[in-house]
Amino acid sequence: MKWTFVVFCLLSCLLVPQSSAEAGNQDGWEIDLKNGYISTKPIFVDDQVIVRTSGDDRPHVYSFDVQTGVENWRFSNPNSTNNDMSPLLHIKSGQGECGNWSELILVAWTDGRVTALDPDDGSLVWSAKTEVITWGITGAMAQDGETIVVPTRQGLSRFCLSDGSQNLRVDLPQLGWRNGITVTENSYLLGNEEGVLNIVSKDGNVTNISLGNGMVRHPPIVTPSGIISHLQTSSGSSIYLDDVLISDEGKSPAIPIKVGEEIFFGTSDSISVWKCENECVLQGRSEFYTNGEITVQETENGSMLWFPRNTQQGGWGYGIPGNEITTFSSNHDTYTTAGMAFGPNGAMAFGNDAGVLQVIFEEEIQVTGGLDNKSGNEGSPFQVQPAHFLIVALLLGLANSIYKSNRDLTNKLAVLLILVVAILALPWVSEVWSKEVDKLSEGPGDWDDNWPDEWEGTQIVVFELPDGEIIIGELSGHDYVEQLTDAAALEAGITVEKQSYSIGTMIVSFDGHELEGWEFTIDGERTPVGISQAEVSEDSVVRWSAA
Amino acid sequence: MVMTDGVHGAALGPVEMLVLNVILISFSFFLLCRPTQSAKREILVLTSITTAAAASRILLEPFPNVQPLTVMCLVMGASLGARRGMAFAVMATMLSNIVLSHGLWTFFQATGWAAIAFAGSKLNLLLESKVDMKRLIYSAVTASVIFDWWVSLSVLSTLTTVTDFGIYLLNGLPFDAIHAIASIASAVWIAPYLANLLHVETAALEESIPTGEADVITA
Repeated sequence: MKWTFVVFCLLSCLLVPQSSAEAGNQDGWEIDLKNGYISTKPIFVDDQVIVRTSGDDRPHVYSFDVQTGVENWRFSNPNSTNNDMSPLLHIKSGQGECGNWSELILVAWTDGRVTALDPDDGSLVWSAKTEVITWGITGAMAQDGETIVVPTRQGLSRFCLSDGSQNLRVDLPQLGWRNGITVTENSYLLGNEEGVLNIVSKDGNVTNISLGNGMVRHPPIVTPSGIISHLQTSSGSSIYLDDVLISDEGKSPAIPIKVGEEIFFGTSDSISVWKCENECVLQGRSEFYTNGEITVQETENGSMLWFPRNTQQGGWGYGIPGNEITTFSSNHDTYTTAGMAFGPNGAMAFGNDAGVLQVIFEEEIQVTGGLDNKSGNEGSPFQVQPAHFLIVALLLGLANSIYKSNRDLTNKLAVLLILVVAILALPWVSEVWSKEVDKLSEGPGDWDDNWPDEWEGTQIVVFELPDGEIIIGELSGHDYVEQLTDAAALEAGITVEKQSYSIGTMIVSFDGHELEGWEFTIDGERTPVGISQAEVSEDSVVRWSAA
Repeated sequence: MVMTDGVHGAALGPVEMLVLNVILISFSFFLLCRPTQSAKREILVLTSITTAAAASRILLEPFPNVQPLTVMCLVMGASLGARRGMAFAVMATMLSNIVLSHGLWTFFQATGWAAIAFAGSKLNLLLESKVDMKRLIYSAVTASVIFDWWVSLSVLSTLTTVTDFGIYLLNGLPFDAIHAIASIASAVWIAPYLANLLHVETAALEESIPTGEADVITA
């Protein structure tokens, strides 16, 4: 009888529910969307959380019930050319000269389409088309009254929210990538891949400011001092106030955000906060690796900034630059560019390159030290966690057992203490160790001494075509082999034919040469992942050769 | 939900999964069918401890690579012998992976822990019910690290070169260390009680059970 009872209890333990998208879990839910990355933050709309995925041949927009995780609807665009990184936009119902519109979810795609969806059932309300030059729309759209302003691949289009009819089109000479729009009283601001900040008046007249060699991949930020742009360059990045350089920063800048009078920036090196009144002044800086969407959480204590950590360890850092940045980890941490989303009743929704949408109702994250009480937190970055109480308890127990000369208990408690400390230290140790190991795994390199010196430290693509080798250098700012290859092919005038399969996108031919297939190396090494997932650094050499 | 997706290698299709399950279950059945002394009580004891081991893996899942099953396999092998110990290891792995996620790595985990149980049966870790703690700790630490490397073989199909695999193992060293420390903790906290429990239960099983004529004569 005793054993039967024990077995029953243990079997009950096996049925302890795991975090999943099943109804009834008070702590939250998660669901593996199984098709690509989550690169932009989810949005909360009433009792729904809506998220988009991208990175394979089935990009989707999904809606789930916030509380239960039950899927409400999904919308797919099989024509997308990937990677879809334009953030979802929720538009409230309204009316204007164009007509009336109901509540909408606006989705922009890399095939140049803008789709307006009904948030209730995901049905298509209207659709509009813009130009595609390898990609279509990748930047953030912005509402301007009764219209939506869209940063297209090579220009700007404005559509009526009521029916999607176009009422402004501006063609620009430069290509754009993730170059979101900012709406001001009289104009629209958008950057591009040639370091130019375009100022487009609402009747379509264009003026511009040339910042330098680099790319503007975020909506410009308007401050009392001027327009802020964070220019991505081949060696790092630079922050400009109008056309004046105010700071050189690290590589691969994140999308900056303005909260009140303060502007938050991020790069692969650090995060920083600047205050722009008459001039822009650095307020604080902390080491952190972020390249994606910075988001803000409004709490009773003020505003808290969240930074996606784009490393293999992943997670999100939260805090104010200049202070201790706390890391928030999930069950599926990996490379992360999507921002953390905040909903009602403490709901938080997030995802990353693992493609798992997670929603939690987190009361345990005690957000302190927000913008409004920053000074109160400066002296004490240390935050007490439950594990610290466990360590103290173990230390007290250990002292007691030593005092009582109980050697057996002393050994047991000492081992347990070491285990607890080791588990707590593991994330940090693992990260440091991983960086050291990464140094060992650097590839053999593929640099040719005959190439121009100016190409050193830039991205280079070599096409080994049957009729000769074509090499394109001095490229920069591309994160994946696919982007880099497309950019090089565009510059070299090579036609690229691609095909999407369930395992990802593959190159079919260059300039019509199919041969036995094409394969690539990065710095002389093959990679286990495909072109849309293989990451390149700012000095990578990608070599395409016949298989 | 699948915590180990992408960590231990490729997930299996339905047919491959069926083949893997059949192999592991057949292996357990083969190990348990001899010797035939089994009584209901022995089955219950083995089932309870197997379930406890599986439950411990599930409950400790949030803590990275804390695996008390390693020490339990050593003690089970030492107490019940190689066959029962290995069957325990395979069943506990399969049972816990129903919740933790099932795939090619289950094969490597099951065989790894079965090998540890086999080693436990040969290493003279117990004298009656008393654990040779020093020997157990050395064995547990060694087994933990070798087990991790063995399970890492399940990712070989996704890596391109032997160097990549070496880098993968190097990256995992902090996690190997956690497994080793957790095994020491399991050895000092769990092993003596488990060994004693098994000794009491197996001693009870070895007592002669009076039947038939003997009862009549005694009476």
